[in-house]
Amino acid sequence: MSGRIYRYLAVVVAVIACVLLYAGKRVGWYEDLMFPTWLSILVCILIAASMLWILYRTIKGKPAERRIVFLYVGIAVSLPLLMTISLHVPISSEGQLLYDGMKKLQPGSKVLVSFDYDPPSAPELQPMAVAFIRYCFEHDIKVIIMGLWPQGPQQANLALAKILAEPEIKAKNLVYGVDYVNLGFQSGNEFVIQRMGSDFKSMFPTDYRGTPYDSLPLVRNITNYSGIDYSFNLSAGYPGTREWVLIAVDRFGLILGAGNTAVQTTGMYPYVRSGQLKGILGGMSGAAEIEELTGRLGKGAQFMVAQSFGHMVMVVFIVIGNVAYFLHERKKKRT
Amino acid sequence: MTGVTCRCISRAHLPWLVIILAATLLFPSVSSGETNTAFVGVVGDTVPPAPVTSLIASDRKYDNGEAIDLTWVPSIDDRLLHGKVIGYRIYRSENGGEYKKVGDAGKGDSQFSDETVSHGNRYVYYVVAVGPGGQAESIHTAPIIAEREWINFNRKYLFLIGLIIAGSVVYFIETARRGKKLFIRRIAGLEAVDEAIGRATEMGRPILFISGTQDMDNVQTIAGITILGHVARTIADYDTKIRMPVSRSLVMTAARETIKTSYLAAGRPDAYSDDMVNYVTDEQFGYVAAVNGIMVREKPATCFYLGAFFAESLIMAETGYSIGAIQIAGTAMPTQLPFFVVACDFTLIGEELFAASAYLSNEPKQLGSLKGQDVGKAIALAVMIIGTIAVTVGQSWNIDLMNNIADWLNSVFKTN
Amino acid sequence: MDGVIMHHVALWTAAFLTLGIISFLYRDNAWYKFCEAVFIGISAGYWFVSYFWDNLYGKLWLGIFPTDPTQPPDYILLIGGALGVMMLLRLIPKIGWLSRWPLAFIVGATAGLNLIIYFASNVMVQVEDTIRPLFGANYAASAYDIVGNIVVAVGTFTALIYFFFSKEHKGAFGGAAKVGIFVLMVTFGASFGYTVMSRISLLLGRIDFLMGDWLGVIK
Repeated sequence: MSGRIYRYLAVVVAVIACVLLYAGKRVGWYEDLMFPTWLSILVCILIAASMLWILYRTIKGKPAERRIVFLYVGIAVSLPLLMTISLHVPISSEGQLLYDGMKKLQPGSKVLVSFDYDPPSAPELQPMAVAFIRYCFEHDIKVIIMGLWPQGPQQANLALAKILAEPEIKAKNLVYGVDYVNLGFQSGNEFVIQRMGSDFKSMFPTDYRGTPYDSLPLVRNITNYSGIDYSFNLSAGYPGTREWVLIAVDRFGLILGAGNTAVQTTGMYPYVRSGQLKGILGGMSGAAEIEELTGRLGKGAQFMVAQSFGHMVMVVFIVIGNVAYFLHERKKKRT
Repeated sequence: MTGVTCRCISRAHLPWLVIILAATLLFPSVSSGETNTAFVGVVGDTVPPAPVTSLIASDRKYDNGEAIDLTWVPSIDDRLLHGKVIGYRIYRSENGGEYKKVGDAGKGDSQFSDETVSHGNRYVYYVVAVGPGGQAESIHTAPIIAEREWINFNRKYLFLIGLIIAGSVVYFIETARRGKKLFIRRIAGLEAVDEAIGRATEMGRPILFISGTQDMDNVQTIAGITILGHVARTIADYDTKIRMPVSRSLVMTAARETIKTSYLAAGRPDAYSDDMVNYVTDEQFGYVAAVNGIMVREKPATCFYLGAFFAESLIMAETGYSIGAIQIAGTAMPTQLPFFVVACDFTLIGEELFAASAYLSNEPKQLGSLKGQDVGKAIALAVMIIGTIAVTVGQSWNIDLMNNIADWLNSVFKTN
Repeated sequence: MDGVIMHHVALWTAAFLTLGIISFLYRDNAWYKFCEAVFIGISAGYWFVSYFWDNLYGKLWLGIFPTDPTQPPDYILLIGGALGVMMLLRLIPKIGWLSRWPLAFIVGATAGLNLIIYFASNVMVQVEDTIRPLFGANYAASAYDIVGNIVVAVGTFTALIYFFFSKEHKGAFGGAAKVGIFVLMVTFGASFGYTVMSRISLLLGRIDFLMGDWLGVIK
């Protein structure tokens, strides 16, 4: 009974804390709660010490339960967001290859960006989308957006809204339909890619706002992939990068770079090796890479610190788990 | 170098240098007569370059009537490299209409591909050599039409190898149909299927079957549904309960059909109910949340995950593991296999899923396809081994014969 | 003012649902069940609306009856429409068998398209790419590249042998298959690492929302 009371109490305290933080921010009690350096170091030491304590308890035969692992991963991922620590992300050869392809684009080049993901994959892919489109706008490259996932073009609009609000991009007075266009979603998966090889307009008779294709100066003269100088695919699964490679690249000769969720990146490496894919960005580290390459750090770089802390905690728990396993096996053999 | 330059330019040259500098600043470029030109001229030259010669327009072979290739011999002034040519402009007339610019080529270029043509139309081209002193127009090409070709002979080897594999598939299907037993190696994990169903029966708990999150147009889903046929038949025999939440309406239709057929075959049509299969949502993580909920609440004794999976694989397999279910998985999604290998008792890796489907159904079509694909794999394996040895030996010791073999194999497998 | 209030309500609702789903890590509970039901209901509804407006209305209806007078009606869409109607015939048991035709159409068309593209790109191009000199042209490759080339070559050969079903895995063939499965397991390990990254990214996305958009404790 008392356990239940403690649990309710904990929930009430948490709710009150959240309300205070929420209200405090809105009425201006604080700007943000960034830790000073000494506190950041202290927090790191405390986490490391407590994990050593867990290791010690495991060796003593008292393994931690799974919820402790969840708690630690949660802490390891959240606290670094409050710390003033920055991390240099090394550039992979695949990321560099992609950036080299981007650098070859001249002002006025037309780039096709396919948003093949939905909100769950946004933490990894949205920073890539923002960095890529911002680079295009900064270098006067025209951007044609589409999506094979229904929520893809909406993600594109979020990215566009963020970029177009930046002062230096605002100063360029970019015009919808001339400098960039969002053609929207088209159902049909790989059949859409195939059909676009002969007729873009048949797949996108209007843009997502309902403007007829022929009324959009940016695309009205584009009939197929030959009118596209470069393409970038943001993919979280099927249909995605694989389908673009198999059809648009191999059948129609499109030049393609990709940003993928980390889960599916390993599956795409053979296409990079064979030259079918001109570079790839994998997961959060890929997002941080393109931000570093384009010289504008954003969410990708910020998250990479938290990501690395999360990885370290998991590595320690893998060690602890293995210790627990081997001790358990030895005990079983003895008995 | 700087020192040499200083000695060459004496004080006497200074007035001239000032005049040239002033002229350069006042007249930075000379318009070449076109407002949309990308070329920048040089001061003082008024003699136009010589035109290009031998301009030929040819329809691109083996395409869908979408391109015309132009070739020419560059202007003599371009070849002599004395800066009289700074580039070329390509003009086109469509069906006798007026000439419009379709593109540019750089100096030294001798070809251009016009990929903005439509098949059936008549096109005439000419090329303009542009220099600081003006421009020169070439002769016009003969009218040309971009033709559509029925067969792409660049892909003849693709066709040939495809034909060999497809022929093998047909041959093996026919062989299986005639009743000849086709050998397929034992697949670890398949024996566990009946065992797992038996365990669920003993425990009086349901069996959960997940056929992935993709639709019926995915071959892995089809393989999963085929295995479902076998599983449902055994379930009907054992009188166990099956639970199958799906994320695609078409899969729901196909799964219901399959289970119904299995129950009919087992002589228990009365035990079948449409409620065994229910649609949840197309949304990936919404579906996962529902499946997790079912697992935690109904605690199935056995979970099957057979089909195409994405990020949901680990979440489901982890929950299944936490409730202590026997888990049998199979997918050809390379990125999801690690999680099934870690969290499940048996995993059908990649093509084993299709092999299991063929093995269990014993259908001549599936068996024949599997054997035919083995022929394809044998060809690929042989080519890779021979090719790698040939190119390694050939390039390391400069043996022409080996290099020729490797080049030939490369050309055979080149598809574009 | 209404917009501001709605913004606060939306933030608290999103936070409530996010924390509800995360609470499953502690254990199954009523909060999670509520969030799960809301999620499933809303997503199913979303997909219904999305399919209706994108496909039925956007593609089929506007394709046959275009609003733009310069655009000719695309009557070929009627075939797709008819196939769609046939799917619904399942509801009439007597002619329910007709619903198998559109199913056959989808499976057949996709198989036909995929047959060529997968064969050309995943088989032909990848086989061509595997034919590489192990030591580079005239032994020019570095030790790192040589090891890499050998691992790729041996890995590809042996993994392919593992997926050969016409021969029992015995003797030298079985040995090669064992190397193949070992290579596959190493690949899975690498893939697992990437996935850990992906999962933490998902968590980070939500924590960024909770700490940034909702509570505002981070920038």
